Amino acid sequence: MAASDTEPMPEVVTEAIVVIDLVESTLTSNLFGWYAVGRQVIRDLRALIGEVGESRGLRCLRSTGDGYLLTFHDPQSAERAALRAVEAVFELLNRVAHRNRQVPEERALNLRCAVHLGEVDIVSNDREGPHISLAFRLEEISRASLPAALNPIPPEQFPLQNYVLCSEEVAGILSRRASPWEMVSIGLLKLKGFPGWREVFRVLPEDHPVDLGRGIRVS
Amino acid sequence: MHAPPPPRKPLALVFCDIAGSTRLIAQEGDLVASAVFREFFEHASRLGREHHCLMIKFMGDSFLAVFDNIDDVMPFVVSIECLLSQNPTSVGRLAGFYFSLHYGNVLYIETSYGSDVLGEDVNVVAYLNELAQPHEIVITQAALERMPGDYQARAGASEFRQLKGGGGVEFRRVNLLGS
Repeated sequence: MAASDTEPMPEVVTEAIVVIDLVESTLTSNLFGWYAVGRQVIRDLRALIGEVGESRGLRCLRSTGDGYLLTFHDPQSAERAALRAVEAVFELLNRVAHRNRQVPEERALNLRCAVHLGEVDIVSNDREGPHISLAFRLEEISRASLPAALNPIPPEQFPLQNYVLCSEEVAGILSRRASPWEMVSIGLLKLKGFPGWREVFRVLPEDHPVDLGRGIRVS
Repeated sequence: MHAPPPPRKPLALVFCDIAGSTRLIAQEGDLVASAVFREFFEHASRLGREHHCLMIKFMGDSFLAVFDNIDDVMPFVVSIECLLSQNPTSVGRLAGFYFSLHYGNVLYIETSYGSDVLGEDVNVVAYLNELAQPHEIVITQAALERMPGDYQARAGASEFRQLKGGGGVEFRRVNLLGS
C-alpha cells in the first residue's frame, strides 16, 4: 500500500493566498554575501510579515527561498480574509518603505506581491492546490508579460517593484466590499497551466496619486 | 496642448488558438513544441500577408489578427486550417484550431512592442474563442451580418452567451471541415 493511501485527507479551507517575492534577492546575496546581508534581509522580511499579519488572520508563513507564501484565514468570512490580506500587504509595503529609509541601499527590501483567494489543502505549515499555483503565476507577471496580454497597460506603466497584483476573484471582493483601494486592470493574460483568459489587476494604495494611465478602473 | 486621442477603427478581429498544445508539450517536450509553434506562426504570418491581414500578436499557442475588410477573413481562416493537412510539421501534431471572429471599433495604437488593438471588443473575441470546437469558427452576429451571404447561409443556429466581465453576445458556428 502506498504511503499516501494511509494518510488522512487534508483539511480543505478557503484562504487568501499571498505570494511575496524579494526583488533581486539572489543578486544582493551574491554581491554582498548571504551572511553579511542576504540572511538579515530575509529575516527582516519575515519579522515584518509576522508583525503585519498577526492580527489579520495570518495562518501560514512558508519560505519560498527568495520570498514567502502566506495565507490568511477568517473563520466568519472568506471574503474578509482577502480584505485582511490586502490590508496586510499594504501595511507591509509601508513598513518596508520606512525601513528602507533607515538602512544602507544594499539592505533595502523591495517586493513584488500577488493576492488570490481560493480553496487550499492544509498540510503541515504549508498549502497545496491549484490556487496556490495560480497565486505564484500572478506573482511572476512582469513588464515582459504585457505584450502577450490582451488590452494591456503600456509596459512602461507597470512598476518594477513594491506593487500588489490580484486575481479577478480578489478584485471582485474588493469592489463588492467597497474597499479603500482602487484597482486597475493590467490586461487579460493566459497563465501557464490554467485554461482561458484571466484578467489581472493592480491594486493601488489608498494614497496613490492619480496616474492611472489608461487602465480600466473597477467600479 | 493635448495629444489627439488614438484613432478608433472598425476592424474584423480574428482569434486563433491551437487545440491540443498542452498534449503536444507533454508528449514531445517543450523544445519540439516551441519549434512547431514557431513554424506555425511563420506560416500564419505569411498567410496573413497574402490575405491583407495585420497580425497583432502571437501569444504562446494563439494569435490575434485584424482585417480592414471582413471579406478577407474566411479565405485566411481556411488557409490556416489547411496547414493541418499540408504542413509536414503540423500533421499529426496539432489537433486543430479554435477560431473566433468579431467585428468592432477598437483603438489602434503603436506601442513600445509594436502595433496593438485595445478595447472591449478584443476581450469579446478572446472570450468567445473559448466556446469554439476544433475545426470550427465562432462568429458574432455583428461580424456575420457583414460577411458574404454564403457564409451566413452556412452558419449554425444562433446562440447567446454571457461573457466574463461584460455583457452577452450573440454568435453562430461555422464548421470548417470541407471548406
